[in-house]
Amino acid sequence: MKLAVISCIHGNYEALDAVLSDINAQKADQIYCLGDLVGYGPYPNEVVDRIRSLAIPTCQGCWDEDIVEGLNACECSYPSQLAEQRGKLAHEWTNTEIRPDVREYLATLPLSLKRDNLCFVHGSPNSQHEYLLPSMDGFAALERILSTDADVLFCGHTHVPYVRELEGAKLSVTVKNPAQAEASQQFQVALKRIINAGSVGEPRHGRPNATYVLYDTETTQVTLREVAYEYAKTCLAILEKGLPPIFAWRLARGMEFAERADDPSHVCER
Amino acid sequence: MQSFDLTLVAGPPGVGKTTWISQFLKDSSRPLFYLYPGGQESVDLARIGYRFPWVSLVSDDRAATVLADLPGQSQVFIELGFHLDLESPFLTALPGRRIAVVPPSLEKSEWHSWADEVMPGNHSQTWGSGKLPAIWKSPLTGQVFDPPSLDEALIELTGGAYGQVVRLKGIFELPDGQAFYVDFVEGLPGIEYTELKLPRWLQGRPDRFSGLEIVGCNLEQKRIAQTLLASCLADDVLIQYQRQYQQLQSEETEQEVMV
Repeated sequence: MKLAVISCIHGNYEALDAVLSDINAQKADQIYCLGDLVGYGPYPNEVVDRIRSLAIPTCQGCWDEDIVEGLNACECSYPSQLAEQRGKLAHEWTNTEIRPDVREYLATLPLSLKRDNLCFVHGSPNSQHEYLLPSMDGFAALERILSTDADVLFCGHTHVPYVRELEGAKLSVTVKNPAQAEASQQFQVALKRIINAGSVGEPRHGRPNATYVLYDTETTQVTLREVAYEYAKTCLAILEKGLPPIFAWRLARGMEFAERADDPSHVCER
Repeated sequence: MQSFDLTLVAGPPGVGKTTWISQFLKDSSRPLFYLYPGGQESVDLARIGYRFPWVSLVSDDRAATVLADLPGQSQVFIELGFHLDLESPFLTALPGRRIAVVPPSLEKSEWHSWADEVMPGNHSQTWGSGKLPAIWKSPLTGQVFDPPSLDEALIELTGGAYGQVVRLKGIFELPDGQAFYVDFVEGLPGIEYTELKLPRWLQGRPDRFSGLEIVGCNLEQKRIAQTLLASCLADDVLIQYQRQYQQLQSEETEQEVMV
């Protein structure tokens, strides 16, 4: 079965439309969405309507949660003061724009989805706000996957797609009990993978193109797809709808609207 | 008879006029003077002062008085911004050696006709006199920047987010008390950051010059100012940072004493 995994659409309808067309052309059997349907982009309601109309299984992203619960960011959410101010502007705009039924839908989204040996989350199994960066410590990365009981963990949130394989990991556990002799046990962990789908609507890989992932459940083959779309239309809508013009400038350069995660050792406290 | 050396230096923005002059300011055995007409509170003036504290910086209003009464063996450098008319009566009346610093590829220009000597500089862009770029200056004295915000703002500025930037130079204060000189020339790779060797300022807002100068076209001044302001630290945040750095500094001093 061929799965398509999309993430971080951020109200960018043009990008979503292009990605759905590409998924159709690739003949995927099922689509999963890792959240962040809204935030920064000019079409939050339209993006949610499209996802709902296609009944795409979707988990809740950090922006989706913020629109439901209100802003309550950990320091990792905004790596700079400038990014924080822009993030707040985007949040306020989205909060005003969004329809009540869309907000209610976002509130119903689960934090994770499971399918056989696959797990789907937005940030990490711990939180929608935690980044699983490709440079994250191997032990911590393994711990995140093991906590899900899955072999493959799909995530988004970093906006840069990647595949990380954790192979041949050995875990050694030593139990010290004063009454008994010290007992040690070793576990061999089977191959585990973290697959980051990148971002449909707010890429951070230096080009404006949308990214998503195809996964073949039979062969376990992963294909990172990069899809060109008419980003100028989204940029124009950003300006017309009164969002900060710098969002359009950054989107056109694949620089993301405002955020940037750069600390792989940070444990999100949200 | 004139008992001092006067050197006038001109050229397009970003070509390296200040850098060319700087090579002669290292020798403090002779009285040295630096003038930048029209550059009151300028980044270049401050940078020269920070880097070569023995050089006398002469403001426009004191120029006539200082030039009339120079000590013997003085060496005077006058840096002429690209926006100045080299044929103006004031400049033509000045007796001295005329140096033009120009891009190596430029073979003929008003600077060539004006100069006694032509020096090769950076591969910067040149402009015809009928289509000069604008200069935008923002004094920033007392402002301290959030470092990652400053990085982002500079990437956006030099990337053209607020209009075409041909040249950018600035002096910025950071919360650890250090000040940096930042330099960008369109067409040259990257943004250059140089730490200024100044005492760390960890008590309130720095009372020394910092500022930004941008040469460019179609500059969106209001948006640039908003971005800079959004990158500056508020009083309470600055106090918090400075307390941390003071603590760190005192711990380092204690360790040095123990060693």
